[in-house]
Amino acid sequence: MAIKTIVRASKRSAPVTGQRVGRKPWGAIFIFIAPAMIYYTIFVLYPLAATFYYSLHKIAPLGGKLVTTFVGLQNFTEIFKDEIFFRAAGNTLLWGGVGPAVEMVVAIALAMLVYFHVPLHRFYRVAWFTPILVSGVIVGLVFRWIFNFDWGIVNAGLRAIGLDQFALNWLGRRDTPIWIVIFVHFWSTFGYSFVLMLAGLSAIPGELLEAAYIDGASKLQAIWSVLLPLLKPTAVTVLILSFMGKMHAFHVVWVLTNGGPIHFSETVATYVQKRAFGWNTFDLGYPSAISVVWFGLTVIGVGLISRWLKARAEG
Amino acid sequence: MLRKSLHPILILIVAAALLSSCAAPAAPQVNTVKETVMVTELVQVEKLITATPLPPTPQPGKKIITWWSHWANEPARRQVIETVIKDYETAHPDVDIIISWWDSAPLTDAVRAVMTAGQGAPDIATDVDLINMVNAGWVLDLEDSMPWENFQDGLKAGWQIQGVEGTYNFSPGIQTLMLFYNPTIFDKLGIEVPENYTFTQDEFVDVVKTCSSAGYAGVADAVGNRNYPALFPIWASMVNLVGREEQNKYDIGLQSWDTPEARQVLEWTTQLRDAGMWPSTFSTMTIDEFHVYFHTQQKACMLYVPSWYPGRAFKTEAEGGQSPDFHFKMLRYPLMNGAKFPNQLWTAGDSGYMVLSTTKYPDVAKDILAFMVQPKYGALWTALTNIPSSIKYDPVKDWPTDVEGQEIWQWYWEEIEKVYGGMERTMAAGIPCGDFVDARTGAINQGLPQGLLTIDESIEMMDAKLCE
Repeated sequence: MAIKTIVRASKRSAPVTGQRVGRKPWGAIFIFIAPAMIYYTIFVLYPLAATFYYSLHKIAPLGGKLVTTFVGLQNFTEIFKDEIFFRAAGNTLLWGGVGPAVEMVVAIALAMLVYFHVPLHRFYRVAWFTPILVSGVIVGLVFRWIFNFDWGIVNAGLRAIGLDQFALNWLGRRDTPIWIVIFVHFWSTFGYSFVLMLAGLSAIPGELLEAAYIDGASKLQAIWSVLLPLLKPTAVTVLILSFMGKMHAFHVVWVLTNGGPIHFSETVATYVQKRAFGWNTFDLGYPSAISVVWFGLTVIGVGLISRWLKARAEG
Repeated sequence: MLRKSLHPILILIVAAALLSSCAAPAAPQVNTVKETVMVTELVQVEKLITATPLPPTPQPGKKIITWWSHWANEPARRQVIETVIKDYETAHPDVDIIISWWDSAPLTDAVRAVMTAGQGAPDIATDVDLINMVNAGWVLDLEDSMPWENFQDGLKAGWQIQGVEGTYNFSPGIQTLMLFYNPTIFDKLGIEVPENYTFTQDEFVDVVKTCSSAGYAGVADAVGNRNYPALFPIWASMVNLVGREEQNKYDIGLQSWDTPEARQVLEWTTQLRDAGMWPSTFSTMTIDEFHVYFHTQQKACMLYVPSWYPGRAFKTEAEGGQSPDFHFKMLRYPLMNGAKFPNQLWTAGDSGYMVLSTTKYPDVAKDILAFMVQPKYGALWTALTNIPSSIKYDPVKDWPTDVEGQEIWQWYWEEIEKVYGGMERTMAAGIPCGDFVDARTGAINQGLPQGLLTIDESIEMMDAKLCE
């Protein structure tokens, strides 16, 4: 009854303007939304639709023009016979699994340090964020030097302390290149996750922490029982963003190893680039099919992560 | 609290954005004045102001010809092409030629991209991905427009594509695979060069072992930014065994590698690898760097390299070139057991040029290329680049009088004549399919030399991707 009264009262007291009540200003809405929608349509929807379209076609030049021939699902069936794709997919999935998990743990730990104002926390805040400002190409080049077998700082350091046997040809082996790529990309991007975590921590009301201390909680207990549970929504976002980032990371791999040697550090993004532009063929159909498959897998992956985290939160 | 903790980071972001907007290099674009714009892998843009100021281009009413060329980091080759352009423009005041210099890989991507997109293509370009481009109908036939008689005998056939009528490109230079050695290191290690400049297959392995045990790499070679340098010793020894023409079939994916000859060469390659043939930085060193590794750092005993070596090495030391006082010497290819073609040299056309079908001025573009094929430019090419020219010239009559300082490289030419004089330079052409290039790169440019694959795995990998 009380609610009804309030509603009636608010209706009666609604300000009367020149417009009729309930009619939306479609003209203004269109004008404000149109630029974003046009941009979105041209640069997101159209390429996406084109990729789906090309994935069902073979494209070959003939008589000075590109001829597009419908081939149905042929490109998709070829993917399942493509060993390089499976190696690239395996590497990317490994990266998509390990990378976000490590990034999340490290980002939370470092954000906690800054949040609790450890000595030099202001310096750390800037230092840990700075790598994100460096271009992926530059990062790739610098780490190529760092991991140089002869004079790279890693091997020089190992040799200096008498660990010569651990001075490896990091970028030229079967087993190490993908891990180097994962590490370098982590170094380059963890600052972003760190900042998001720090923002998440900063948004938690200080009173909750104070209440925990008053109730006799230690710092570790407060972190475990108050801060971490409240940080979960931010963590979910960070995890998903990080996962998506790894699934289509390109620059660092391209410059650091170019997917080599023999595709041992190949990722799906670099393989698509090679198939689309690097090989002596003009066919964009097959790389488009790979992109479509990978798009689907990424969406599924994001969905699974969200569902898993939601289930854990509810459980 | 949030604002306070993120404040320095926000300042950093804003500062970085401001910096990047101020420092962002201009997109590679041609300039209206006679400046040369080079586009390299790192989008490094360098402007070379010519000594003599030239009138700005384009002029109203002039025919504009755009030209994309490889060789951004090879000043001598650029100088030849720029001289041709300058002379052509002087002779044809109604034509303006705007040239952009690129590194090889991004140029290939760019030409393919603009042709696929159907817009933005240059009129003339380096002959990247030629067979596919010709099959696509994107390259004009030069058959009736070039003075083919001005080329050295037999070269034209090497530029023709099997099964395709016409001739679509030409190279101003010729590349012949050679083998250099550092005489100081050889003397120091007591390695004696045979009188016929030829080690046998087994002797060569011993030479590499001697070098390696003294801390030198057998050869300066690496695959950091190219997909072929480790193929040089394989090419040379395959030519030795099966001849250039047959070797080319292996190289472009038309012949199975599961043959006794190929196995012999790959077996020898693994012996060389185990003996210490390749530098420890083989996987990351770039093509420019391994030149320096040989001539300046002198960390390797030998260098397999085609005759484009001077393009990178015979420039000033400040630009990464070698000292003119470093007089390396040359060897013939190691003599493989059972060699049937020990007198043949691996030879091929260098990068060349083509006219793209999208040009608005096909006759002018073809005429510019024909203009280049004059004896005086053949002589200029040789004089400036120290790379053999494909264009015939009279060394007395056509030799440029205004090129100074070339006598410092005289020893190089004398050494070539001494070691390779009288040998048969055999051309072969053809471009492998994409699948095979990738397999070849993985198998014998990276896998076998680094011990990542066995011989059987390498053969299996390449044979699975043979071109149809």
